[in-house]
Amino acid sequence: MSQQPINIQRLSQPVQMPDEIATFSPKVEAEIDRHLAKYPVMRSAILPLMFIVQRERGYLDPPGVSYLAKRLNLRITDIWEVATFYSMLHLKPIGKYHIQVCKTLSCKLLGSDKITQLCVKKLGIKVGEMTADGRFSLSEVECLGSCGTAPMFQINFDYHENLTAEKVDQILESLA
Amino acid sequence: MSTELVKVTINAKDFQVPKGARLIDVCRENQFDIPSFCYYADLALQASCRMCLVRIEKMPKLQTSCTIICTDGMVVTTQSEEIEKARRSMLEFLLANHPLDCPVCDRGGECELQELTFDWGNLEERFIEQKNARAEKYLSPMVANDPQRCILCKRCTRVCDEWMGEDAIEAGNRGANTVIGTYGGWLNCSQCGNCIEVCPTGTLLDGTYRHQARPWELTQTISTCTYCSDGCQMSLGSRGDELMRIVARDRYVNGLNGEFLCIKGRFGHPFVNHEERIRTPLIRYQKGGRLVPATWDEAIRFTAQKLDGIVAARGNNSLAVVGSPRLTNEALYCLRKFAAEVVETENYAVADAFSLKPFFESLGGPLATHQDIRHAKTIVLIGGEPEELQPLTAKQIRQAVRNGGAKLILINSVPIRLREQAAQFIHIRPGTENAAALALAGNADDALAARKMGVEAAELEILRQTISETQGDVVLMFGGELSAEAQAVVAQMPYTFAGEGRRILLHPLALFNNSVGALDLDVNGKSVSDLLDAAGVSIHAMYMAGSLLPEHMPKCGLSKLDFLVVQELFETETTAFADVVFPAASFAEIDGTFTNNDGFVQRVRKSIEPVHQSKPDWLIVSELAKELGVDFGFERSASAVFREIAERIPAYADLRYPLLKDESHPLQVKHAIASKRELAKEIAGIRRAVAELSDDGVKVSETPQVGHELFKLGTLTDKVPQFHLLAAGNPTPASFAISPLYQITIDEGIKREKAVA
Ligand code: FES
Ligand code: FES
Repeated sequence: MSQQPINIQRLSQPVQMPDEIATFSPKVEAEIDRHLAKYPVMRSAILPLMFIVQRERGYLDPPGVSYLAKRLNLRITDIWEVATFYSMLHLKPIGKYHIQVCKTLSCKLLGSDKITQLCVKKLGIKVGEMTADGRFSLSEVECLGSCGTAPMFQINFDYHENLTAEKVDQILESLA
Repeated sequence: MSTELVKVTINAKDFQVPKGARLIDVCRENQFDIPSFCYYADLALQASCRMCLVRIEKMPKLQTSCTIICTDGMVVTTQSEEIEKARRSMLEFLLANHPLDCPVCDRGGECELQELTFDWGNLEERFIEQKNARAEKYLSPMVANDPQRCILCKRCTRVCDEWMGEDAIEAGNRGANTVIGTYGGWLNCSQCGNCIEVCPTGTLLDGTYRHQARPWELTQTISTCTYCSDGCQMSLGSRGDELMRIVARDRYVNGLNGEFLCIKGRFGHPFVNHEERIRTPLIRYQKGGRLVPATWDEAIRFTAQKLDGIVAARGNNSLAVVGSPRLTNEALYCLRKFAAEVVETENYAVADAFSLKPFFESLGGPLATHQDIRHAKTIVLIGGEPEELQPLTAKQIRQAVRNGGAKLILINSVPIRLREQAAQFIHIRPGTENAAALALAGNADDALAARKMGVEAAELEILRQTISETQGDVVLMFGGELSAEAQAVVAQMPYTFAGEGRRILLHPLALFNNSVGALDLDVNGKSVSDLLDAAGVSIHAMYMAGSLLPEHMPKCGLSKLDFLVVQELFETETTAFADVVFPAASFAEIDGTFTNNDGFVQRVRKSIEPVHQSKPDWLIVSELAKELGVDFGFERSASAVFREIAERIPAYADLRYPLLKDESHPLQVKHAIASKRELAKEIAGIRRAVAELSDDGVKVSETPQVGHELFKLGTLTDKVPQFHLLAAGNPTPASFAISPLYQITIDEGIKREKAVA
């Protein structure tokens, strides 16, 4: 029903803006420009830009969020809304290794709970937390499309399949 | 909506409805009850609650009536076993995660979820799973939040975006974990509290009224806001002698503002029962002495004697009477009558920030109501900043642009927030607003105007063209920046731009709740600064109701008076000079009327008895008049005063309290429409003034901070502790679980400068 001008310019922010605003190398800026050029409506570029900011800064830290709001001409709450929607975007610091245990049906039936418990014990953190040294974060996620090799988890972008207790031990050891 | 009719059949009855009508509205208008949560008139559709399901023939599945536009031949069923079952299941889902703690919820008793649960809920809760518990918290000093009670109707996020243009709250996370919140968890928005108002559950709550009263203990009194000139209708909730809260919920009040209120209207009321209210009349027997409490009889007698003495010695005109644009029409009328009939002085003025007298004298067309603004096709705003000074007007503009496709043309020296909605922004140099009036009047002075404003002449051409090409309503608004001559020119624009299919409506952005009424009732319209200049010269005594504005204070000359009487709620900079102070009753304690910037005369109603020994302003004036030998004959009835206003002031003719009863149909004052006249003199005057402006003023490029006017501490808002937090920049507290009031101490050092309320 409602029509809003496209690419509206945002003149105020409803929350306190972080003082600092992120800066990126010319190469990254160029990459961002390339993405922006793809979309007639600027805000559509929000996901690729978030991905780049997260890649460059580890997570969507306040200066990064500020940068996104400015660059995309959005309210900071819009950034928040999108960032919290996706489990792969992080507004809080995330460990160097992000263990994402699949908890959907096939994995669950084949013991994903045990896998999670193992990680919890081994790392000394709860699901959704990060180890004090910033190396590991642990979360549970929905089906990763690897049901045939359940149970499985993903660490950063790598799949680890047909998990057993020994295998989990081994993997965590190799990363510690 | 077109006038064409289509036929719909609802529950086997035929109806002719306008083409384009929404099914849910049509059903409700014809008394077919449709439950709903997410549907809210004039907001973007959401269709998430699915309570409004109906059966429409030839459509698969049940349909949400809130999203259906009636078409010819539509056959609808709103009641059946199938529908009932669907609604009951929907409600069961909505309650799946909702805590059943109504007895401790502030919304209990006026909660839409609670009410619909009575109608559609099941007796037994079948979900035995653990609820997704979340802690209660604060989102700002004004907004408390209990996320678990949310049913995700998203009315709050929509009003925040569409009404306020702020997007301060949004829905975060997803699925069953969705919550309403904001980045960082702390809101630095304009704190209007409209999200609280439209929330159908107890998710967003008034943080200043938390756990203080239950709705059924409150007496609801419909009244008019005492802050700005928009004249929002509100419901004052009082318990005994205490004003507990102010809301605009449509279950209590249905005014021109709907459920909209701004921060001041909604949260700015604790001054009413504030302990610093003046309790008794006060007399300063000796200059330089202290104000000491006195009885009413003594204070009236003392004042009358003094005034008598001064008038006898120095003549009638040595006494000046000064009113305030915050007073009711009744009070202002009595003051004027006092000046004219009791002391017979010519010196009567109202202490307003700027006068709209030249505008009303040349008024060439009707005033735009807020409804007109919402449906206007073109809106031109010269100067002013309605987001901060007339928030309802700003909301109507935003909705006109967003939901009505109106064009907003902004002529301002500052990129105010409404610029986000503007189709054209003419960014001028500070102080060159009058040149805009020149540009409206014709293209003869475009070169000069454009040079002084620092804009392209073509922009002015576009401005005129947009207006003269509009089919529908054009609303011309202006703020206090315009000179008398420029006001007159704008007032005559309805003649200049008259055309087929186009109405030119005018909307002055007056500053105070009764600025317009004060002007209507003022005959000679002297300026208060002239009277103040004459203090100690030709004026030796003053009788003031309300205080002076801060801008009048610096060289106010009050110290040079022999005698000063002030009626006030609080001790102010003005009462510091007073010889007698009468305790006045606030807007919540009196009956009366205010006239808003639509020209609507709206009722002010007594919600609580006057606190301590205070009395309504008009009654104090009449008592003093009586002591001086003139009986106004109003007894104790405000309606008698109003009857006399209606008899004596032509614009108010035929108005009576009983006619003003219904706040949803306010009556407009009949302002005299001036005929078309030659503007050459005014235009020449403006041209001369504009020519003298500099050519190289620096433009302001910063958008002013949200709340720079709204959060300013005035005499009234100063009494609300939360305003101090906001005025100090609304610092984020260490914990969101506790009200920031108990966590943050504001010392004098971080208070922003005091200014007008
Ligand atoms: S259920 Fe685990 S990958 Fe599909
Ligand atoms: S009112 Fe129609 S879906 Fe909520």
